Amino acid sequence: MLSYLAKRLTLSLIVVALVLLLLFGMLYMIPGNPAILALGTRATPEAIAEYSARMRLDEPVVMQFLIFVGNAFHGDLGTDVFSGRPVTEVIGERVGFSMALIFSGMGWAILLGIPLGCLAAVRPNSWIDRVTGVFSVGTIAIPSFLVSIWAILIFAIQLGWLPAIGAGEPGDIGDQLSHLILPAFAIGLGWVGYLARMVRASMLEVLSEPYIRSARAFGLPPRKVTGYALQVAILPTITVIGMGFGGLISAAVFAEIIFARPGVGKMIFDAVSDRNFPILQGGVLLATGFYILVVLLSDLLIAWFDPRVRQSL
Amino acid sequence: METLLDIRGLSVDFKTSRGRVKALRDVSFPVRKGRIVGIVGESGSGKSTVLWSILGLLAGNAEVMGGEIGFEGGDLLQLDAAGLRAARGEKISVVFQDPMTSQIPVLPYARQMADILYRRKGMSAKDKRDKAVDMLRRVGIPDPETRIDAYPHEFSGGMRQRAGIAMSMLTGPNLLLADEPTTALDVTMEAQIIALMRQLQSEFDTTIVVVSHNLGLIAELCDDVVVLYAGEVVETGAVRDIFHNARHPYTRALLECDPARIEDVSRKLPVIAGDIPDLTGELAGCIYAGRCQRVMPDCHTLVPPVVHRGTGIARCHLLEGPLADPDWPPPLDVATVPTEAGTPASAKRPALGAPLLEVRDLNVRFQTMGNLRARLNGVTDPFVDAVLDVSLSVRSGETVGLVGESGSGKTTLGRAILNLLKADGGSVHFDGQEISAMDERKFKPLRRDMAMMFQDPVGSLSPRKSVRALITEPLTIHGITGVDLDAEAGRLADMVRLPHAFLARYPHELSGGQARRVGVARALALNPRLIIADEPTAGLDVSVQGEILNLMADLQAEHGLSYLVITHNLPVVRHIADRIAIMYLGRIVEEGPTADIFAHPAHPYTRALVEGVPKPDPDQRRAEAAAIRGEVPSLIRRPAGCDFATRCPCVQDACRIAKPPHVQITPDHGHACLYPLKRTKQTTETT
Repeated sequence: MLSYLAKRLTLSLIVVALVLLLLFGMLYMIPGNPAILALGTRATPEAIAEYSARMRLDEPVVMQFLIFVGNAFHGDLGTDVFSGRPVTEVIGERVGFSMALIFSGMGWAILLGIPLGCLAAVRPNSWIDRVTGVFSVGTIAIPSFLVSIWAILIFAIQLGWLPAIGAGEPGDIGDQLSHLILPAFAIGLGWVGYLARMVRASMLEVLSEPYIRSARAFGLPPRKVTGYALQVAILPTITVIGMGFGGLISAAVFAEIIFARPGVGKMIFDAVSDRNFPILQGGVLLATGFYILVVLLSDLLIAWFDPRVRQSL
Repeated sequence: METLLDIRGLSVDFKTSRGRVKALRDVSFPVRKGRIVGIVGESGSGKSTVLWSILGLLAGNAEVMGGEIGFEGGDLLQLDAAGLRAARGEKISVVFQDPMTSQIPVLPYARQMADILYRRKGMSAKDKRDKAVDMLRRVGIPDPETRIDAYPHEFSGGMRQRAGIAMSMLTGPNLLLADEPTTALDVTMEAQIIALMRQLQSEFDTTIVVVSHNLGLIAELCDDVVVLYAGEVVETGAVRDIFHNARHPYTRALLECDPARIEDVSRKLPVIAGDIPDLTGELAGCIYAGRCQRVMPDCHTLVPPVVHRGTGIARCHLLEGPLADPDWPPPLDVATVPTEAGTPASAKRPALGAPLLEVRDLNVRFQTMGNLRARLNGVTDPFVDAVLDVSLSVRSGETVGLVGESGSGKTTLGRAILNLLKADGGSVHFDGQEISAMDERKFKPLRRDMAMMFQDPVGSLSPRKSVRALITEPLTIHGITGVDLDAEAGRLADMVRLPHAFLARYPHELSGGQARRVGVARALALNPRLIIADEPTAGLDVSVQGEILNLMADLQAEHGLSYLVITHNLPVVRHIADRIAIMYLGRIVEEGPTADIFAHPAHPYTRALVEGVPKPDPDQRRAEAAAIRGEVPSLIRRPAGCDFATRCPCVQDACRIAKPPHVQITPDHGHACLYPLKRTKQTTETT
């Protein structure tokens, strides 16, 4: 178990390093000098040279990379090109909004999608199964940014039930929650259908396993039999949910732009258009780290549920 | 005697795309209290459908067309879902066929067993655990207090089936149903489970209904027998009446086909020709008429009479009425089923040639954990020996049987011989060439001379290819051009006696025997000299087994083939093998001519295997003590001395210290035992 964890964490670090290297390489190839961007097109060559030397932009790209990695280890991700504030501080005040969005989006998808899939599998070809099937295909096919726009049009503008943009007043939890509902709805909707389909398929498979027939033959009540089946059928779904967080990070970028939420996604988007490289690097580092962590957690969760996996670690 | 379960006129249909399959028709038989009743039948007989009808757990496309299942004064078929649920697990319980798949893998036994007791509201969690521990102890699980927290995958096959029996006995049911309870187990485990079921039956006075195709199991375990054929009861009776004086031609044929009964290895095995009738159409007359040796014209139209004898019945025109034959049934030693046409294969076999395959001191090691993990856990040697110093030879034209239980390494050895696995030591010579170190490119031409017959006849055939394509696939794989594939497919189909109409079919349209024939044809496609057959008759009905074994013998006689038959089934290998090698934990413990091995086993393990197969004769029941104790140890915990020392009934102190060397008794009979069994009588060679 410990050696497994050590192996996984080492692997994770390698992945993070590779992602950073890729990012660095791409930034290097993008036209546009960050020093000119920072100082404006009318900056004197001396100012540009001074800025480049201070930001160590004149070093070879490999050196720049190593310097960045070295600093990152000390918790220093550089400074915002425009405001001059530390990147960690900029990210720190935004990360909460993104996490709230991603987790509530996946959260309501899990809470609704898994029971829907179970019900559909327990009663195949019933009305609930058919409705779930149509709903799943429909919602999976619609991109989340379209859902975002419709959600604003319908619930915010037409009906006026919920606020359209922003993240709510700082300190006012109620207001923040009401600002969270529409974007979370938008990014989670497709996942409700997707998870329902996943769970339905693996439940149907598990329900035809001999051990489920054994449970019935021992007279266990239907609720318990379904519980048995779900404990096995949930395993592939956990993996999919873990990987799904990767997709949600990019869905959150769209949602944050459309709903004008001050999250990491919007920050990354702005950083790209502004050539604000330190912010961009910090944002991508955060997203990669977050994704790797979630996948690791989902693997550990499977080991927790399945003794066969647990004992092979 | 009181009747506990009374099935009367049970008819069940299955709605399929081919129409309604009348799977059970007017099935009636009583189960008397305190008896062990065996329902015997081949695949398609409907024996499992009877069992699931009793539990009310038939598949969704099944429909009960009529009849009643009387149990404790009520009719199980009239109960609603809640009523049935109340009976299941409490009054009626089940032991399942495959303990590997019938126990939920993610819950420990403690939880699974507590859940079965969910109706006992008065019991505390601790009471339930204590009861479960007690039951596990009674079924022979060592150290049940701690083992109860184990998960199914942590138990071996035999232990898992013991736990399955403990689960079914937990509530003290009046009626215990057992669905092929030993089919998934090895011979030595089978003997233990039979003994355990008998012991529990007398201890708890439970009534047991066992469903099986295994005549030996039925003879050894049951008091009464019900013979099912194609969804109808053809005969019932006390076990002695059935096995010693069967009255229905099908029962007779079934008994005569069982290779375990046939000691004369020189003659061809009998088979029941034909297939089970199509149950979707109109059925008239006697259901067995199409395959019966004693069929008369009226059998196809007249419903046979029900003829009583004692507590049993038989349905056959030969017994009563205008068509009766006073000489039927003939004495048991008179054959009623002819063997297949043609002279016995052994009569025209060419003499054995030079050694074709020679294995010397072969070793195969598997790594059980990564190097890093081994170091962290302080394991110095993270390898196990799956095959240990095995020497074996097969001469051309010879059949060698490689016999062992699961985990004996017999399949690994087969794969290593075919160069599908890398050997870690020793040599394999094929036709004089060392092949174990050969790279794939050089080995490929030789591979044409060695073919494999796979264990699972249907699973090893691609479902999307026609039989024609499957049979000629080896030719295309080896890039053989310039042959007419259609002509080749026809030739191969003729060789395995498969009608040409089957060439256009797909695997799911084949019966077990036909799929097996396709497997044989595939193995023959490249004109090999050696065929390695992995469990050639596994999963086949008794009446079909003979067909395949006869076919293999004929092909050998005609083409001088050599076979290495890998199996756990001693009665089968007895009929085809010239020599037998017995494997235990990756080592060959005894090797010799087939007749000699059966008559004078030297190694106690060989004797356990030879005696382990239940005889299809209720008068030859073994004492419980005859069953060999314990299980095959894990390779990780290979004993220091003789590998069999942990289970051997004749173990001595010296056995536990060093591995016994291989000793030759006669030039061709060798063993690895420090204290071999004495030869009781003079050797009589029957070959």
